[in-house]
Amino acid sequence: MPRTAGAAAALAATKRRPAMFRLIALRFAIFVPTLFAASIVLFIAINVVPGSAAKAALGIDATAQAIARFEAQYGLDRPLHVQYLDWFGKALKGDFGTSFQNHVPVGPEVLLRLPVTLELAALAFLIANLIAVPLGALAAFHHQRKTDAAITFLATVFGAIPNFWLATLLILVFALTLRWLPAGGYAPFGAKPLTNLSQMAMPAVSLGVVSSALLLRIMRTAMIEVLASDYIRTAFAKGATRAVVIWRHAIRNALIPYLTVGAVEFGFLFGGVVIIEDIFLLPGIGSLVLVGIINRDYPVLLAAALVVTVVVLTVNMLVDIVASLLDPRQVRAKAAT
Amino acid sequence: MDKSHEPFAGLARASPERPIDAERAAELTTLIDRLRAGRIDRRSFLRRSCALGLSLAAGQMLLGALATTAAQDTAPRRGGTLVAGFSADPAGFDPVRGPSGMSHVVIEQIYSTLMALDPDAKPYPELAESYDVSADGLQYTFKLRPGVLFHNGDELTAEDVKFSFDRLRAKDSGYSYGAQVETIAGVEVIDKYTVQFKLSKRTGPFLIYMAFPGSSIVPKKLVESGHDLNATPIGSGPFKFVSYQPRTAIKFERNATYFQEGKPYFDAMEYRIISDITALTNAVTSGEINFSNEIPPKDWAAVQSNPDLVGVTLEGSRYNWLLANTTKPPLDNPKVRQAVAHAIDREALVKGAFFGQATPILGGVVPQWNWAYADIQYFKPGGDPAAAKALLAEAGFPDGFETSMTIASSFPAQMAMAPIIQANLAAVGIKAKIGTMEIPRYWDEVWSTSNFDITTMYWLSPLADPDDFLTNNYKCDMAINVQKYCSKAMDDLLEAAKTAATEAERKELYRQVTQLSLDEMGQVPLVNGWLLIAHAKALQNYKPMRTGFLKTLKDAWFAG
Repeated sequence: MPRTAGAAAALAATKRRPAMFRLIALRFAIFVPTLFAASIVLFIAINVVPGSAAKAALGIDATAQAIARFEAQYGLDRPLHVQYLDWFGKALKGDFGTSFQNHVPVGPEVLLRLPVTLELAALAFLIANLIAVPLGALAAFHHQRKTDAAITFLATVFGAIPNFWLATLLILVFALTLRWLPAGGYAPFGAKPLTNLSQMAMPAVSLGVVSSALLLRIMRTAMIEVLASDYIRTAFAKGATRAVVIWRHAIRNALIPYLTVGAVEFGFLFGGVVIIEDIFLLPGIGSLVLVGIINRDYPVLLAAALVVTVVVLTVNMLVDIVASLLDPRQVRAKAAT
Repeated sequence: MDKSHEPFAGLARASPERPIDAERAAELTTLIDRLRAGRIDRRSFLRRSCALGLSLAAGQMLLGALATTAAQDTAPRRGGTLVAGFSADPAGFDPVRGPSGMSHVVIEQIYSTLMALDPDAKPYPELAESYDVSADGLQYTFKLRPGVLFHNGDELTAEDVKFSFDRLRAKDSGYSYGAQVETIAGVEVIDKYTVQFKLSKRTGPFLIYMAFPGSSIVPKKLVESGHDLNATPIGSGPFKFVSYQPRTAIKFERNATYFQEGKPYFDAMEYRIISDITALTNAVTSGEINFSNEIPPKDWAAVQSNPDLVGVTLEGSRYNWLLANTTKPPLDNPKVRQAVAHAIDREALVKGAFFGQATPILGGVVPQWNWAYADIQYFKPGGDPAAAKALLAEAGFPDGFETSMTIASSFPAQMAMAPIIQANLAAVGIKAKIGTMEIPRYWDEVWSTSNFDITTMYWLSPLADPDDFLTNNYKCDMAINVQKYCSKAMDDLLEAAKTAATEAERKELYRQVTQLSLDEMGQVPLVNGWLLIAHAKALQNYKPMRTGFLKTLKDAWFAG
């Protein structure tokens, strides 16, 4: 069934290619200015936060001379707009500066860390969806019955749990007490796939469970709406089986609003990795953001935050494209704007 | 060699009033043999050794020493990887750069120094085979071990020593510990294995400076050819640098050509950087890593009850002090500062903020294990509110006063001490309002600008020399003297002590420094937090160091 649905969508997509191209081009066109604006906002935000980078890097026994030498070395004694333009010019060429803390170039470090965070976010998102889609759909089928109430309650609980609390609880149970899973650490999937998955399990669950709450509610609402619509009744009236109705008509249509919210949720997930990566010792972008903030390590923070921005923008763009494949009306509407 | 290998050495120190004669020593030896053979238990051993005239403390000490000796009986074993966790990221690996403590624990494994410190912080020759000091104390001649190789295969000679120190002394070298090399007037190569230092004035801690990781000897030829030691450090130390992944890990491998034959015993080491202290502790308790010297006091009980771990404590020099801003009335009055100092219940601080893992400082900041300790019992462990009130009345504040206390929220021990101190002060009429601040803001807005009435902080002396303890805290305009204490008499005494001819003279002068530091109460000493180390049970012969450094890892091994 899903195969035919996909084929039909692809066929439909071919027919409306010009509109689709326009949409993608439009998305790309706003991508770069958005990034530029984000970098300015980030740069300002970082600099208005109280605390001096030099003093944070040099610590307790920093002398006035040492602070002055540090600020001269990193150009922190120049006006803010000069600092920004200098940074931006170099960043365009792929040079994101060196960390104030360990004096190592930031760009390569960010690239090295990106796969860790992408894997974590993807796994967490997968878990969130595996919880949200079936449970959301199930709740909708049993709308206003006990199953629905139980699932809705569960969603409320999931939504109320802070992910770092869940993480700590999981460590306590599965790492420190039962000793089934490592408390933290990271081995690349390519090198040691099983170790990698055992290390990713708890962080992905901590993030995924919490993220599933909103997605579950969206799925449920969307499904309830779809199930109540005329075309579903028509489909049943025409004698279609329950499976056909659900898979071909209901879920596909419910996924359209779900996807849009999902993209936003993926962005949140990317933000959630900051604390979770730190707890589970994952050397990703999130833990980099954290040490960047703690140490006022501006080059690190800027590069890490920009990578997050790029990922979130990309995901939103992809979701827009996928959503329009599922719902042709969106292409026309968005391309027109 | 460390004295604890020799059971009787400790004994002689423990009970000087009853020196051990040959006969009793023989009896003791029999007892020890029987204990080792398992024919008597520890309790009977203690009882019988007491009967031989040993104090209970000495007997227990002997048992402790025997435990070490027992470990010594099993031969060192090659192999394994030590995985140690640290919360900080190093700031480079070139001795002239590396301004941070974390850089130094990496540097000390990769490079060697002319002198080194034993676990009790006493200097002994390392790269030097022997050394000679001129009568006026202005000339140090070091005879180097021949055949010491850098990791690139070059031999380490007097030229490298001269080069290393000229590099540190160069103008604009940016060396953070410039004060250590400022009295070096010149370094001369006498021959391939002899190097002479000329000093501009007597420098008491000179040999200790020679043991500091910043004083590591770097390969001249390599550095002159443009090699970047910061990216790829090359030294002559027990471990070779393999790789560094920023904020994640530093990897080392065994240096097979290390000049101390057979050492080190680990095939490899890995330093993992785990910035979150709770995650670090979890990593130790779950066996993810097998060594940490950053266990928070609150987790110490958990470490001790963990059957897979060994917990080791040692008093080092991690001072926690209270700083009363000497430029702000009424704290500019020494009597008021003394009142504050007497009001504090140091026992409560040890119990409440350090879970028992600290020593209350009852006199000056030089700890009891150090040779320059001045036995001045100035404070009562539980505080002396009556004395505090009397001092306040004398200073003209019989009803106390209002003040504020700003604490860096990123340091759990400081946060835990704050309410105890607040209550202690309130009991004598001083109402202190607590404000907290995240650390980068604190450094910027409170610490470096001396913008506080009262604050607390901790500091770890990496040198274990009384000059380092005292000068940093009490000399005018020192970076950590943010309470702005300044006294000509103190500065003169500190200088005299640093440049005195003998250790005995230095010790007397430091006693005077200590007395003055309490009379003027330039800062308020609180407690000395112990080094708390946890390691896997299999790790043998690891000896913690007073300085908190990890040089002794080269002597440790994993049991099979």
